[in-house]
Amino acid sequence: MTANSLEALASAGKGRSTRTLLRVVILCLIAGAAIASRLFSVIRFESIIHEFDPWFNFRATKYLVANGFYKFWDWFDDRTWHPLGRVTGGTLYPGLMVTSGVIYHALRTLTIPVDIRNICVLLAPAFSGLTAFAAYLLTNEMTTTDSASAGLLAALFMGITPGYISRSVAGSYDNEAIAIFLLVFTFYLWIKALKQGSMLWGALCALFYGYMVASWGGYAFITCLLPLHAFVLICMGRYSSRLYVAYCTWYALGTLASMQIPFVGFLPVKTSEHMPALGIFGFLQLVAFLSYVRSAIPGRQYQTFLWLFAGGTFAVALAGLVIATSAGIIAPWGGRFYSLWDTSYAKIHIPIIASVSEHQPTAWPAFFFDLNLLIWLFPAGVYLCFQNLADEHVFIVVYALFGSYFAGVMVRLMLTLTPVVCVAAALAISSVLDTYLVAKAPAPPQVHNAEDASEASVKKASKGGLKSTSKPVVGVYSYISKGVVVTAMTIYLLLFVLHCTWVTSNAYSSPSVVLASKMPDGSQHIIDDYREAYQWLRQNTREDAKIMSWWDYGYQIGGMADRPTLVDNNTWNNTHIATVGKAMSSREEVSYPIMRQHEVDYVLVVFGGLLGYSGDDINKFLWMVRIAEGIWPDEIKEREFFTPRGEYRVDGEATEAMKNSLMYKMSYYNYNALFPPGQAQDRVRGVRLPDVGPTLDTLEEAYTSENWIIRIYKVKDLDNLGRDHTSAAAFERGHKKKKATKKRGPRVLRVE
Amino acid sequence: MKTSAVFSAVLSLLTLASARSSTTSSSGSSSRADLPSTFTPPQVFKNANLVHVISAEKNYIKETINVVIENIDKAAQDEYYLPFTADQVSRLGGVEVKDRKDASAGLFAAEVVEFDPTSDTQYLRIQLPTPLKSGAQQTLGITYYLLKAYKPLPASIKQEESQFLTFSFSAYCPSVYTTSKQKTEVKFSSANVPDYTKLPGSGDIKQFPQKQGSKLTYGPFDEKPAGAVEPVQVRFEFTKPVTHVSHLERDIEVSHWGGNVAFEERYTLYHRGANLSSLFNRVKWAQSAYYSPSTSALKEIKFPLRVGSVDPYYTDVIGNVSTSRFRSNKREALLEIKPRYPIFGGWKYPFTIGWNSDAKNFLRKLSGDSYILNVPFLEGPKQPEGVEYEEVQVRVILPEGAENIKYYTTIPALSITDAEVKVHKTFLDTIGRGALVIKARNLVDDFRERELIVSYDVPFMASIRKPLIVFGSAMVLFVSTWILGSVNLKF
Repeated sequence: MTANSLEALASAGKGRSTRTLLRVVILCLIAGAAIASRLFSVIRFESIIHEFDPWFNFRATKYLVANGFYKFWDWFDDRTWHPLGRVTGGTLYPGLMVTSGVIYHALRTLTIPVDIRNICVLLAPAFSGLTAFAAYLLTNEMTTTDSASAGLLAALFMGITPGYISRSVAGSYDNEAIAIFLLVFTFYLWIKALKQGSMLWGALCALFYGYMVASWGGYAFITCLLPLHAFVLICMGRYSSRLYVAYCTWYALGTLASMQIPFVGFLPVKTSEHMPALGIFGFLQLVAFLSYVRSAIPGRQYQTFLWLFAGGTFAVALAGLVIATSAGIIAPWGGRFYSLWDTSYAKIHIPIIASVSEHQPTAWPAFFFDLNLLIWLFPAGVYLCFQNLADEHVFIVVYALFGSYFAGVMVRLMLTLTPVVCVAAALAISSVLDTYLVAKAPAPPQVHNAEDASEASVKKASKGGLKSTSKPVVGVYSYISKGVVVTAMTIYLLLFVLHCTWVTSNAYSSPSVVLASKMPDGSQHIIDDYREAYQWLRQNTREDAKIMSWWDYGYQIGGMADRPTLVDNNTWNNTHIATVGKAMSSREEVSYPIMRQHEVDYVLVVFGGLLGYSGDDINKFLWMVRIAEGIWPDEIKEREFFTPRGEYRVDGEATEAMKNSLMYKMSYYNYNALFPPGQAQDRVRGVRLPDVGPTLDTLEEAYTSENWIIRIYKVKDLDNLGRDHTSAAAFERGHKKKKATKKRGPRVLRVE
Repeated sequence: MKTSAVFSAVLSLLTLASARSSTTSSSGSSSRADLPSTFTPPQVFKNANLVHVISAEKNYIKETINVVIENIDKAAQDEYYLPFTADQVSRLGGVEVKDRKDASAGLFAAEVVEFDPTSDTQYLRIQLPTPLKSGAQQTLGITYYLLKAYKPLPASIKQEESQFLTFSFSAYCPSVYTTSKQKTEVKFSSANVPDYTKLPGSGDIKQFPQKQGSKLTYGPFDEKPAGAVEPVQVRFEFTKPVTHVSHLERDIEVSHWGGNVAFEERYTLYHRGANLSSLFNRVKWAQSAYYSPSTSALKEIKFPLRVGSVDPYYTDVIGNVSTSRFRSNKREALLEIKPRYPIFGGWKYPFTIGWNSDAKNFLRKLSGDSYILNVPFLEGPKQPEGVEYEEVQVRVILPEGAENIKYYTTIPALSITDAEVKVHKTFLDTIGRGALVIKARNLVDDFRERELIVSYDVPFMASIRKPLIVFGSAMVLFVSTWILGSVNLKF
């Protein structure tokens, strides 16, 4: 490229409208990149809803589209949590479904024939483009200059960082898909309101806060962060009427908006999580009152007044809070909240939370995996905020501290840290680039200094002590240092893009409903056992046949097989889940009455032994045992599932409790028959199974998928001749009755 | 059994005789409405010779009646009646009647006359193109199909057992006329026919039926009165799936701008054969896959599409199904799909397939603005055991602005129940496009190659309406954004 054209290019960026055009083009490209990098799974597999929770959201969206908003609002779902049912309309965050529903109806009005599934699949990528834009706006509020480089970099980072992609690939139709956009945008509006002291921006902030509350349980993050920011500002002596107007507008309107969501209801005035916001609201009134008093009365009297007033108010408020909490008006901190402070709390007290992998504390490599170079630029960016500490920079500092802590406690909260990391890193990089990417040498402050400037930099090391007395020379003069730094930064950024693409492609783009494997010739082979079995259930069982499975598969069964389930991923009723855990981990004699009482028709288990699929039920089995033990410590004991040497085994050495458990029997029933005698092998656990497989008396095999990943059993009806199932099954197998009666265990099986 | 048959024959003769006097005037150009409920066909014909061929080779019944009819009335007659039970009429499809001796006469008009909905006997009226003179003879070839014709016996079998079906019919071909001589042949797909009703023989044949390989022959019988029936039942081995498509929706979308014809077919498929006596056993199924014995489960469906078909897809209600293959070259375009699971008796599997094709394979522009589209009415699977369709809905979606829509099809007219032009809105349509919806019932895969010809006009203005509207709306949007953007709003 000639110098001439370079100049032309450089001068093209001068005009104001040209800059705006360039920014719009760049932002559109960033949005395009953000969307495109999330489409791996659609291209590799198909337009399919991923994993577990998205299947519920998808089902709810279909219900909304089919039945309208009011029916959706009043939706009582009797096809989950049989026989309890679930007040679905009142126990979900409707923002996601309503958003897709609105888009669907808008497109239908334009007579564009689009399937609701495709809207759901592509909602998260579309919103990631918006998130990039919101990050641009937020970062631009942090810089004072007209340069948008920090904003554009932040948009780019936000668009492709794996920490956010992990929850927003195409098909990942979860609340986070739109919530991160709302989070960033609410923060932007908050900063805007705070900077301008504008009620309009405050009201807009409250509006988007309301949308956020309607979309994700993580709204509590905003509810706590904004008061914290206000509190820090007050403590720093930065109270201003701008803060008062912004905060009060946001709190009053935002709380009212959030209370419109049935699932939230009166929580904002009842639970401890929301108390900081309320407290700061009250505190701000006091501060405002005091600042008024201060302007009205003389200084000496004001001091006394201040101390008395502050102490009195604090004591009254604290006493009020304690009384209200002990009286039960304000709910104490929830279990999930405690688990944020003590990471081992959940493991001991709420195994159901601990059993979810995304609730585990974050391993340190995860930070680098999800954020790559941003994680080391992040502190630099926060440091730069201190350089120029305005109100909005305090927000970044507070957010950074708060977000880092929570990201360290729980893997999934990495998501809330990501925006601030992107903003801070963009500030850092843009300050580096803004310094080094200026082709013109800075004008020397004094003429005689300019000549020895280059010498000075060489001699700096040796003459450091002497130089410090003189005025430091600010600016980079050498093209070499400029070139080196800019090249290094460019390489880092390119590596970042490579890393992001690699992580997205390899770690975050698997639908987990469909598994991929390679054929010997290198072509892709799809293992589609989940849908095979779900489709079989959907087509060839009664419409109201109840399916019992571990809660992980509840949403999928509801979404794909369209059959009632006992428990699902909503996990609102721990006892019900423990009941299923008990049925799975007990002997058949115990399980059968439980299944009869819950009108179970089919039992579904996931078995990976044939294929080496490690996410199967035997590997999750200990959690079932633990959760059941939490409710029935006398009947289910985790210890009994370990060998005396403390091993968890499934082969011939397995414990009696293990071998007799329903889960073990269902997993390995008839599995031996697939192998030559004595060769049966479990490829997940890598063990050889005993020669004689388990027998099932109260269940019969109904369907097993092609690769045995899903096994479905039918619960037998009561015996026609009034025998118990053990003897009936023994008779069927041709044993004599005498032998059958010798079996141990409770003999009376009849339920009714 | 024999006595009851004779009794019923006598009874039907009586009713015929009594009705004759009252309804002699109703013959001729009478429509359904003005047939009184006491109608019985006039005894104006005699079946001089009748050969009834029942083919049970596929999973539906194909019956062919070749009959020499003779006018025994004094006047010339042009209406021949064929009786069916009410149950049969609901399952009857694909009726075609032609002259065996004179192929140029074409197909004869045939319709079901519903004179009394509660009556168990319904009549098919065949309109002879030229009235048959008194004493003259004509050879009719009547072909029709019966769906859902079998009952599995035993009703449930083990996974590896072979399936047996039963079929009941009358050894004497049901007729409202006296039949001088007749025989009934039944053909099967396998020679394993363990049970069949045996009748005393006549003439030099001691016992009916005679079995030759996979064919049973009842008859020849001597003269039988009108309405004579002799119920017989056969039970035969059928080691293939009894595939039944209860509902098929076939969409054909024509795009002039895209130069494309898009096909989509939505099947609701059932297996009507013997159910599994014990539930599905994957081990046995996996083991049997090695020596691939004949099984009654449906494992694979093959769709030979028209050459030039591209971009096929195969999905069901929960997404794409990856177990399909598409072989496409200059000679064939074969789509082979595997259901998610083998379909056993009593199981159900709904699915969707679709593909595209270049418009020039099907569409031709006539003079001016008129076009003619020639597509297959039915393009279902081609299986050795056949496929039967209970309800078929073909929807031809024409470009926006198409008018003067006419169609012609070679599907038997009796099978078509309804045809209308509806409005279908899609892809930024403003007035919607004409969609010709044809409903048919009781079809089988023998009609795969039958054509559907649709002619329509698209005026030039209608064809450029959409680009203009889209351009105009986009302009309006931009201009209004520009105007709104230049309004100065200070917060």
